[in-house]
Amino acid sequence: MSSGERTYESAVARIEEIIRRLDSGDAGLRETLDLVKEGRDLVEYCAAELDAVSSGLDELRLEELVARLERAGTEAG
Amino acid sequence: MSARPKPISGEGIPDSDLPGPYPVGSYAERLRNRLREFARVQLVGEVWGFRPGRARVYFELRDARGALPCSMWQSDFEALGVKLTDGLRIVAGGGCDYYPGSSTSSPSFSFAVTELRIAGEGDLLVQLERLRRKLAADGLFEPQKLLHRPLLPRTIGVVTGERGKARDDVLAGLERRGWAGRLVWAFAPVQDRHAAPAIAAALRELAAIPEVEVAIVARGGGSLADLFAFCDEALCRTVALLRVPVIASVGHHTDRTLIDDVAAVSCSTPTHAAETAVGVDCRAARAHVATLTRRLHGQGRRAIVERARTLTHLSRAPGQHVARHRRHLHQLLRELRASAKRGGDQGRSLASVHMLVLRRSAARAAGADRVRRRAELERLALALAAHDPDRTLARGYALVEDDAGDPVTSAAAARKAEDVALRFRDGRVRARVTE
Repeated sequence: MSSGERTYESAVARIEEIIRRLDSGDAGLRETLDLVKEGRDLVEYCAAELDAVSSGLDELRLEELVARLERAGTEAG
Repeated sequence: MSARPKPISGEGIPDSDLPGPYPVGSYAERLRNRLREFARVQLVGEVWGFRPGRARVYFELRDARGALPCSMWQSDFEALGVKLTDGLRIVAGGGCDYYPGSSTSSPSFSFAVTELRIAGEGDLLVQLERLRRKLAADGLFEPQKLLHRPLLPRTIGVVTGERGKARDDVLAGLERRGWAGRLVWAFAPVQDRHAAPAIAAALRELAAIPEVEVAIVARGGGSLADLFAFCDEALCRTVALLRVPVIASVGHHTDRTLIDDVAAVSCSTPTHAAETAVGVDCRAARAHVATLTRRLHGQGRRAIVERARTLTHLSRAPGQHVARHRRHLHQLLRELRASAKRGGDQGRSLASVHMLVLRRSAARAAGADRVRRRAELERLALALAAHDPDRTLARGYALVEDDAGDPVTSAAAARKAEDVALRFRDGRVRARVTE
């Protein structure tokens, strides 16, 4: 899975798949270590996604946001 | 009908042609009964001065030629789920009624309404159905349903009225999910003729912001006429072709506007719409991720520890193998010795039995043959004594022996041995062969 396609739900689904594989006891040592590493990366991603929606409600009005984006666009231009 | 009341005698107006006087309460009661005999009908007109009372709601029904006070039981009115505003055209079904009053309360006339609907709603429904079929035929109900809806969006856009209750309901739904990300409010009128274009413009602008992952369109309940802005064809076409999924919550669950059909999801309340926009309970999700992390770490650790244990076991295996064989051999040896001992004992015990049998046999045979056997024995003893070397030596012979004590029986052997011993009856003498 490339990071561009990664979403919270796909990450959680993949972690659960990894745990099922590890629980089966069929994975060899090399595969186990690779799966654990991949799982840890995904868990970090999920935790970061949850942190992003836990830091406090950020309420914006559409017209303010549009004005801000237009200003940023002008400055960049 | 009650019987005509009796006039009160002696209190009438002198010279009057009119009957009576009658007690007013009796006349009021007759009036009520007469009014109730009027045919029950449907009236159409505009609502004015709507006000709720304790048990009934009151309003006037007006048109250009006249007006009628109306009332309706509060429970009947609430069951309709409609809101009456000044100027709203309605159809009211019912009949005339009169409250006769009493010495302490005023009388009142009203048209007692038992059925009510918003006028022109039937036309609206026909119009709506025609538009619904047209949008369906154009395939506009599908595109939104095919969009990916993120389970955990970081940014949500909301189109709603700035002062409506829907705004608070959306916030309550998000709070219930434990979600506290970025919320972009796009306030727009949600009722009048400006509503549909304003809502469409707000949705287009929200969709133009890359961070916005999902949009909610929310409005509380109202009459179908109030909600008609959400059946606007241009608005519905905008929603259908938007890049972000739209979650609609317009009116109560009994109302179904066209935006409900074209949106990705249609919800019964703004709170439900907010909960649908965030597909996970963030608090539960955090706990779940923590559990997944623990399981993952546990599995990683277990995989390594178990393999290390296996390796340790394997490294000890050859030594253990040898030790096991050694123990096995010792065991076999012990068993062999024990077996040998058992065999010897058994053999000895068998020999004793044989000896006993022989002795008994000998004793049995010892009878008649005893004398013959003794004579034979003595003969053999004499023959044996004749061959005894000591007897020969006693007669003066000597025996030549080598160093080892073996007899030297030839001259060649004596020459070869050189040193020999001569054994006489009474002892040995060493001698040297000099030849």
